[in-house]
Amino acid sequence: MNGAPGRFLRNLNQERIVLWITVAIFVAAALGLPGFLTSGNLIAIVRSVSVLGILALGMSVVIIGRGIDLSMVAVMAMSVAWYLQLLDSGVADGAALPLALAGVLAVGVVNGFLVAYAELPAIFVTLASGSFVFGYVRSQLIPQDAVSVPSDHWIIALGKLRPVGVPADVYIFAALALAAFVFLRFTKWGRYVYYAGDNPVAARNAGMPVRPMLVLRYVISALTAFAAGLLTAASLQSINTRVVNSTLLYDIVLVAVIGGIGLSGGKGGVRNVLIGAALIGIMLNAMTILDIPQLYQNLIKSTILLVAIIVDGLLNPRDEQTAQQGDI
Amino acid sequence: MRTIVQMERVSKAYRGVPAVRAVDFDLRAGEIHALLGENGAGKSTLTKMLAGVVEPTSGRVLLDGQAVTFATPNDALQAGIAMVFQETSLVPSMTVAQNLYLGAEKFLNRLRGTYISAQQFLQSLNFAVDPTAMVETLGAAKRQMVEIARAVHHNARVIIFDEPTASLTPEEKRHFFALLRRLKDRGVAIVFISHALEEALQISDRITILRDGELVAHGPTSDFDRETIIAAMVGRTLSGALYRKRDASALRKPGRKVLSVQDISQGRMVRNTSFSVFEGQITGVFGLIGSGRTETFKIVAGITKRDFLRGGTIELDDRPVRYSTPAEAVADGIAYVTEDRKTEGFFDTMSVAENLFGGLLASPHHRGMVVHMSDMKALAAEWTGQLNIRAITENARVVELSGGNQQKVVIGKGLVQKPRLVIFDEPTRGVDVAAIAEIHKIINDLADAGLAVVMISSYLPEVLNQSDRILVCRQGRIVEELSPVEASEEKIMYAAVH
Repeated sequence: MNGAPGRFLRNLNQERIVLWITVAIFVAAALGLPGFLTSGNLIAIVRSVSVLGILALGMSVVIIGRGIDLSMVAVMAMSVAWYLQLLDSGVADGAALPLALAGVLAVGVVNGFLVAYAELPAIFVTLASGSFVFGYVRSQLIPQDAVSVPSDHWIIALGKLRPVGVPADVYIFAALALAAFVFLRFTKWGRYVYYAGDNPVAARNAGMPVRPMLVLRYVISALTAFAAGLLTAASLQSINTRVVNSTLLYDIVLVAVIGGIGLSGGKGGVRNVLIGAALIGIMLNAMTILDIPQLYQNLIKSTILLVAIIVDGLLNPRDEQTAQQGDI
Repeated sequence: MRTIVQMERVSKAYRGVPAVRAVDFDLRAGEIHALLGENGAGKSTLTKMLAGVVEPTSGRVLLDGQAVTFATPNDALQAGIAMVFQETSLVPSMTVAQNLYLGAEKFLNRLRGTYISAQQFLQSLNFAVDPTAMVETLGAAKRQMVEIARAVHHNARVIIFDEPTASLTPEEKRHFFALLRRLKDRGVAIVFISHALEEALQISDRITILRDGELVAHGPTSDFDRETIIAAMVGRTLSGALYRKRDASALRKPGRKVLSVQDISQGRMVRNTSFSVFEGQITGVFGLIGSGRTETFKIVAGITKRDFLRGGTIELDDRPVRYSTPAEAVADGIAYVTEDRKTEGFFDTMSVAENLFGGLLASPHHRGMVVHMSDMKALAAEWTGQLNIRAITENARVVELSGGNQQKVVIGKGLVQKPRLVIFDEPTRGVDVAAIAEIHKIINDLADAGLAVVMISSYLPEVLNQSDRILVCRQGRIVEELSPVEASEEKIMYAAVH
């Protein structure tokens, strides 16, 4: 293949495909949907994906290192619910916040330890720890599904903060995206994520601290989940723990995978999260404007996730050809 | 005796690298045919073509005089050709009887009936194996019996054994040989691949010897003895650069003792082995597959741990060390260049620069948390030049490079850590001829620069030509030290086979 069309096709990787689809949906929605291309709606889109995007940043750090963290939504909802419950029962903020943070850290460390040192599959460890966190906090620490934010708390102020007319969520998402970018790109530990995700055995043999770094990644994902929970509480002035049983977890994986972060590890970065978040945000918004029922939205999202995972599997195969060569 | 199988001028190349070249091979009913050769001589590939595991690149296979092609091992099995693998292919969590009928279950399957027929079948073979036992509870010998029973149950007329005795005790071996003779009496043709020459001489009727993928000798076992077999296995054409006469004055003198290993053990693979490694010279280590050479040096490099009790001692510069991670060994200046670059050597989706930089990032020579991409570029420029690594484009992924360039990347990844002791494990495996010479030069330059260099190899000319002293490993232990001046391929091979 030569010439412009050939070059275009050859450079067509998943990231670009998704980018083009995003642009196409955006243009279609802007032309076809009244009220889509208003500044209010565009801000709503960005705001709606801010929490999702933050969660996807944490998830991506884990996935690039060839893991997955299915406990994120439980950690997000339950840590903040517990925190607010502590405040409600009269514990000072100076004690409640460190306590909640310690709980979040503990979940991250336990997840990481079980995956790194006990060598258990990440998908089951985090699935179990997520439901443990949900069950324990819901049954032992909070009396109701939803906990509201005390009226004079800084979280309320955070929710009302709108510099230049844009909600604070958007700034926080941008700041965390920048932090994640700097971490993954310009720090030693961030680079270790890619090496361990590409080939953990080679990374270990080269002398990288593969196991401690694994623990670190699950701590990072737990902490980002806590941050996302605080933002959710800020915009809703309460946290509803039923979100744990929603499709939010799949949306997180969807954002990460559809943006081009390979589930086989070692691939992608913050840019992919941003593209994935943009596509999902625009799509969800368009579906809402079109008044598509929730059930159909879920069907569409799950179909897209399935297609994204299949495409990911085709584009980034875990090596099957090696099994046949080498042994003469 | 009737000829069952005939392979005519079969060849097999993996990605253009020939593994077997135009070999003729035949098998008769009721014979035990020993197939011998060094590591990489093509024994496994030849038999895999017979068993339908790989397809020949050229040549043909005749079964009862009819040309056949097997697309899958199952096709071969249906035609009566079974292969018993080195690593057994049984399902550990199932019973013996279930394994026996694996893939041949009746649609309605009653366990009791299965056990009864399995019991009768095993008795008919005179195998003392309980059909209701879980395979994972069985020892190596009994597992092998189940494998063999399965092959016989499929009415196999040809059974291929790849290193069948490697995991057996002497007692179990006697039973195994008795079994082979019984199978032979039933008219089964048996291919017996082994490194154990005595066993081959004792049990086989005919012998075929391969070397570098070519047939070098075949005939009745009575025509061979240990010496002639070894000579045939190693006797290469003495061609130019591959082979040079070593002169005592050309050998490097040992420098300071860097590594001193005493009586280290690890399970069954490494048994009470002791040796030393010196600065400024290449210590060649020869051993056949399964001799524990890789395992021994992986302990030194901190990749695996030696036994906690009675594990022996390792001293680096007279300081006792016991590493629990490779990172500790890297910090002490030990680099291990793996024999299996694909699975544990390089980062395959990354570029050459990222691979080299990974080595630096993992070492204490990279200070601080901040990573500069300009450092990576500079490092890559320096080392791709020094090691002559050629990639099509700067951003080409390592997996797209040739074997030789991949190997240089893995070597470079270790060398950027500025080690004092470098362990090369099979440094030229799967590497093209031109790159072999370059890699040998890299290794020699390191020794000239005063580093302690270990070179593990199962390629005899490499060991003889590159080493300043030669250690021979057999059954988990360094059994012999030779000087390259006095050593010959025959002497080394003699020490390496049991």
